[in-house]
Amino acid sequence: MTLLDGKAGESYKVKELMTDEDVMRRLEVLGINEDTNVKILNRKRNGSMIIKVRGSRLAIGRNIAACIEVREGE
Amino acid sequence: MEDYIRVGFVGNPNCGKTTLFNAFTGAKLKVANWPGVTVEKKEGETEYKGTKIKLIDLPGIYSLTSYSIEEKVSRKCIMEDDVDVIVNIVDASSLERNLYLTTQLLELGKPLILALNMMDIVEERGMEIDLHRLPELLGGIPVVPVSARKRTGLDVLMHAVVHHYDEGPTGHLVDYGPEIEEKIEKLRIILKAEYPEIRNSRWHAIKLLEYDDEVTEQYPLNADEIIDRNYEKEIINKKYDFIEEVLEDTLFKKDEKEQSTDRIDSILTHRIFGIPIFLTIMALVFFLTFTVGDMLKGVFEIALAGFSQTVYGFLTGAGAAAWMVSLIVDGIIAGVGGILTFLPNIFILFLALAVLEDSGYMARVAYVMDGIMGKAGLSGKAFLPMVLGFGCTVPAIMATRTLESRKERVKAILITPFMSCSAKLPIYVLFADMFFEQQAMIVAYSLYVAGLLSGILVALAVNKLDRKREQRSLLIELPEYKAPNARTISIYVWEKTKEYLVKAGTTIFIASIIIWFILNFNMDGMTADISTSIGASLGRLLEPVLKPAGLGMWQIGVALISGLSAKEVVVSSFAVLFGIGNVNSGAGMVELATALQSNGFGALNAYSLMIFALFYTPCIATIATIRKETGSFRVTAYMVIFQLVFAWIAAVVVYQGGMLFGF
Repeated sequence: MTLLDGKAGESYKVKELMTDEDVMRRLEVLGINEDTNVKILNRKRNGSMIIKVRGSRLAIGRNIAACIEVREGE
Repeated sequence: MEDYIRVGFVGNPNCGKTTLFNAFTGAKLKVANWPGVTVEKKEGETEYKGTKIKLIDLPGIYSLTSYSIEEKVSRKCIMEDDVDVIVNIVDASSLERNLYLTTQLLELGKPLILALNMMDIVEERGMEIDLHRLPELLGGIPVVPVSARKRTGLDVLMHAVVHHYDEGPTGHLVDYGPEIEEKIEKLRIILKAEYPEIRNSRWHAIKLLEYDDEVTEQYPLNADEIIDRNYEKEIINKKYDFIEEVLEDTLFKKDEKEQSTDRIDSILTHRIFGIPIFLTIMALVFFLTFTVGDMLKGVFEIALAGFSQTVYGFLTGAGAAAWMVSLIVDGIIAGVGGILTFLPNIFILFLALAVLEDSGYMARVAYVMDGIMGKAGLSGKAFLPMVLGFGCTVPAIMATRTLESRKERVKAILITPFMSCSAKLPIYVLFADMFFEQQAMIVAYSLYVAGLLSGILVALAVNKLDRKREQRSLLIELPEYKAPNARTISIYVWEKTKEYLVKAGTTIFIASIIIWFILNFNMDGMTADISTSIGASLGRLLEPVLKPAGLGMWQIGVALISGLSAKEVVVSSFAVLFGIGNVNSGAGMVELATALQSNGFGALNAYSLMIFALFYTPCIATIATIRKETGSFRVTAYMVIFQLVFAWIAAVVVYQGGMLFGF
């Protein structure tokens, strides 16, 4: 599943980023790496969402959410 | 001047670099609570116990790569030995992410000092940072807790700068594992042989393994078997592993209780109510601008009328020539003074925008509007320049620098001038008050909405026409909400008010003199009949073009042309054109409205004029900024022409449509 399939209020673990180098580097630099915990705080119908990663809040668009492969967190 | 210590402020966006810079230098640079406020590097000076220190404030960056404009600016400054000491300002409440940049700075080997800002939030959350252990784990660099807002810890920080400006961090901090470490060592040997001038071969070796464009280009190596692929992903991961280890030892009592910011967000960024809440907030801003501004206006009017009378009396009493009296009273006081009476409205507008920007809501607007902007091929982030455009278009256009692609930037730059900037406000206040009385506020708000919608629609159309459409995606950090800071707000509002006063004293002053001149002279010299003046002849050239828009009066042509210098000049020109002493007073409005109505200019014409003023070619300062930011004269020319044509079509549609429906 990708983060786009995730539910607000739930935590997930990042498995893989599947996007072009440019976006991938940006996400990695922001701390979205393999095994990082990501919590969805809030999401909209169009797929944009607010997530919490490593103590900071990020707003991400649908395309970015769709390229973050995750698994259910513990 | 070599006795300066040059200090660079480096850190993530919105961690308080500029606040700290202002605290040290006494500068009044804009500060707000959203990432990307600072887009240019700024320099200032301070002193610590007799040592002169030059401070450099840099745009916020997340990494020392060079993808975005801000990263390039900051990296260039740090790399080219412009700085002796790097002060890395980190948001202690978001230490994990902030330390990523720190790990990169540590590798640079330059003297580095860590300034832990926002410690109050850390304490509020019941967290604790071990300030003795942290420096030990970070190569022995000084770690200084500061509060940029409360201005505490400043002396300690400068003390550290003065005493540590020649000591870099010690040891390799991040271990990249045997495979990468071996490659780094091999590359260092080759680098040292090929480029002995390189002082920090480890950093360069790491950058080569990350396929860094600049380093690869600057120091080409024949080492394809070592740099067999891009190791950036592993390098980033290892850095974060290192940070996790550091924090395990130094950060305590991480509580996971719901924070107030999350509670506020659940309302303000609500999936359904988000947009209505935004529109309501904007409506409230304009409501305050109009009502509170108008309440304060009276005082200014009385002062202006008194001043004008006194000057008139003084000049005639002193036996000044009639032309001189006319120039000063009808030209300068009417033009400049008329504009000054709008100061209360401007003041309230900027006060409201300042509160909005400093609260932390701005970044949320990008999220709230992301869906709509996405349809126009823009990310929600492109909406920020549009909101800033309600203040002034020039900084708004510069704010597009935070957008990722050039295409997105150009599109945002094209539509930002459609926003109702503060200079258009006097036009709305005047014409809405004159012709719409009770509905004045609704009429003015409709123009704000019209600008916003048109901007989005134009972006939408451009996106539809674009064959190589790119998918733009939102990525923006959302700061903590906080109570707006009095000092921040007062700096912001005062700077904007000062700008307005300076504009009144310069651009509007000169424009008023020129207008007075072209209205009082013709080819034969001075004339008493302005309908035979140079101005009238010029304005008449435009009459046929503006007629379909209901603006076929030569005076309007003159006012619109002069408005290119600054949009307020449209108003000051009307004052000078119709010889009205105080155009913003009740009597002045009646006088102007009567003069206009006698020419068949009614409410519909007024609305058409406001629509035209909203959309047409922005002021010269904006055009110059567009030229600078796009780097292309051609693109700028296209935009200017497009805006002019758009304004004309919109005004014609409004006027002809209005006629059709019998307004």
